[in-house]
Amino acid sequence: MRQAFGQTIDQLAKNNPNLYVVSMDLKSSLFLSDFATHFPSRFIECGIAEANAAAVAAGLAKSGKTVFLCSFACFSPAINWAVIRQSICYNNLDVKIVGSHAGLMTGELGATHQMLEDIALMSTLPNMEVFAPLDALETKKITAVISKSHRPAYLRLVRPSTPIISNPKNSFTIGKSNILKKGKDVTIIGYGPILYQAFEAQSVLQNQKPNISLEIINCSSIKPLDFSTILKSVKKTKRLICIEDHQKNGGLGQMVASLFLSSTIKPKFIHLAVDNQFGRSAKDIYKLYNYYGIGKNSLLATIKKIL
Amino acid sequence: MLNRFHPFSKISHQLRLDLLDMIYHSGSGHIGGSLSSLDILISLYHSDIFDFKKDHFVLSAGHLACALYTVLASKKYFSKDLLKTYTDFDSILQGHISKDVPGVEYSSGSLGQGLSFAAGLALGDPRHTTVCLTTDGEHQEGQIWESVMFAKKYKLGNLVNIVDCNGLQIDGTVQDIMPLNNLAAKYVQFGWTVTTVDGHNFFQLIKALKQAKNSDYPNCIIAKTVLGKGISFMENNYKYHDVKNLDEKIYLAAKKELL
Repeated sequence: MRQAFGQTIDQLAKNNPNLYVVSMDLKSSLFLSDFATHFPSRFIECGIAEANAAAVAAGLAKSGKTVFLCSFACFSPAINWAVIRQSICYNNLDVKIVGSHAGLMTGELGATHQMLEDIALMSTLPNMEVFAPLDALETKKITAVISKSHRPAYLRLVRPSTPIISNPKNSFTIGKSNILKKGKDVTIIGYGPILYQAFEAQSVLQNQKPNISLEIINCSSIKPLDFSTILKSVKKTKRLICIEDHQKNGGLGQMVASLFLSSTIKPKFIHLAVDNQFGRSAKDIYKLYNYYGIGKNSLLATIKKIL
Repeated sequence: MLNRFHPFSKISHQLRLDLLDMIYHSGSGHIGGSLSSLDILISLYHSDIFDFKKDHFVLSAGHLACALYTVLASKKYFSKDLLKTYTDFDSILQGHISKDVPGVEYSSGSLGQGLSFAAGLALGDPRHTTVCLTTDGEHQEGQIWESVMFAKKYKLGNLVNIVDCNGLQIDGTVQDIMPLNNLAAKYVQFGWTVTTVDGHNFFQLIKALKQAKNSDYPNCIIAKTVLGKGISFMENNYKYHDVKNLDEKIYLAAKKELL
């Protein structure tokens, strides 16, 4: 996913002389070395200083550039949130905050680096759009689309290599979800590579309960959110599970729950997310997923409960 | 030369009255810092050193909005009548500066961000000068020093930071709350060109601004100012950092001194 981002930025910059990268000493972690080599005057290295970097990015954007502000999510947008709020969002400038190493997926690095609050921090800001790609393929598509939006955006990336589950034929549109797999009994929504857990759960169900099918929806456009696709699916299934590698508070599940409370459709709803806890180190991220109740087994148990 | 002989001293006098009226009309505003920064802003906008249709001005200390509003109105960016609407519900003149106001490029209010923004703008538009106005108290924000390092690294000779040094902040003196000690020496150490001026002396201010334009290094102008300048009972009194419910008695007393 990170590699796909780095490659896409490098390719986009060839045709877009206004595309800049503002880095905070994590060039290699975000696979930006090629960009930095090919476009040295457009690669702005701010060092370990996230607050300055965010406002420098805003100033560059004010001069007409499209700026990708790249770091780990636990630093940017975490350390520099107030700068993003004022200098980027309130001033409504063309800066894309790229937060890598989001979620428990950050694994070995432990609690400080497993950013579980980024979606909450970013989605609450006026003018900010929030995106979390499913896999490397969708990372390329989203990066290309937001590079042309001229608005503030947040792009959430993860650390490990993850399976490709998106359809190469599908295009990405801001504000649109896509149905990854059609089903009739339970709607599963989420974003990012954790949705692979839903496919794993479906495989197990196929042996255990062959009549049960899951409808899996990729909400990679978290804000603006395509509520109508979720609503249409839930009208059919009457059951909704939201799974996310993020805190429950301020996550996608809460946004969707709030929308359903003001809708006439009231599905059975269960939200699987990290519940008011910090993460911890592990070499195997699936151990973490199981421990925090967002892995395949938790999902299977939840499906059985909701049916 | 004595400041009173400078043609801008008349403008300064008139804008102090405008500023007082505006704040009295609203009932509240950051009067102390606005009066300390006013002559800096007049030097920027009423001289022909910069053309702010092309050059950039970034007010990092967004609470000094009142001073900038009066200066922008005096330069016909908008009608002077608009000043009466300051802080009204449907007015573009908010308590802190907003880019909705004609002539304003950056909305601010949270201290410490504007110099970074100005540095980004100076880097992105190397053919023009970006001038930023910060305050001494604002230099307690760590982000300022991040941007000071950044400007040196990227050799932003087209960046000017004017520091309104009135020595006071909302709760008292800068010296008591968090001393900056020798600010000029700090900037020199960080690789900037530094000039210290009397921030109410137009001859000194204009000379420093002319020197700062088109330099090889980022420029810092330390402007020594007086909080509440022009109204004796407000001068150097941190309690006039801002006023809430400015009553008629204080208004008339202040006006009497300015007339």
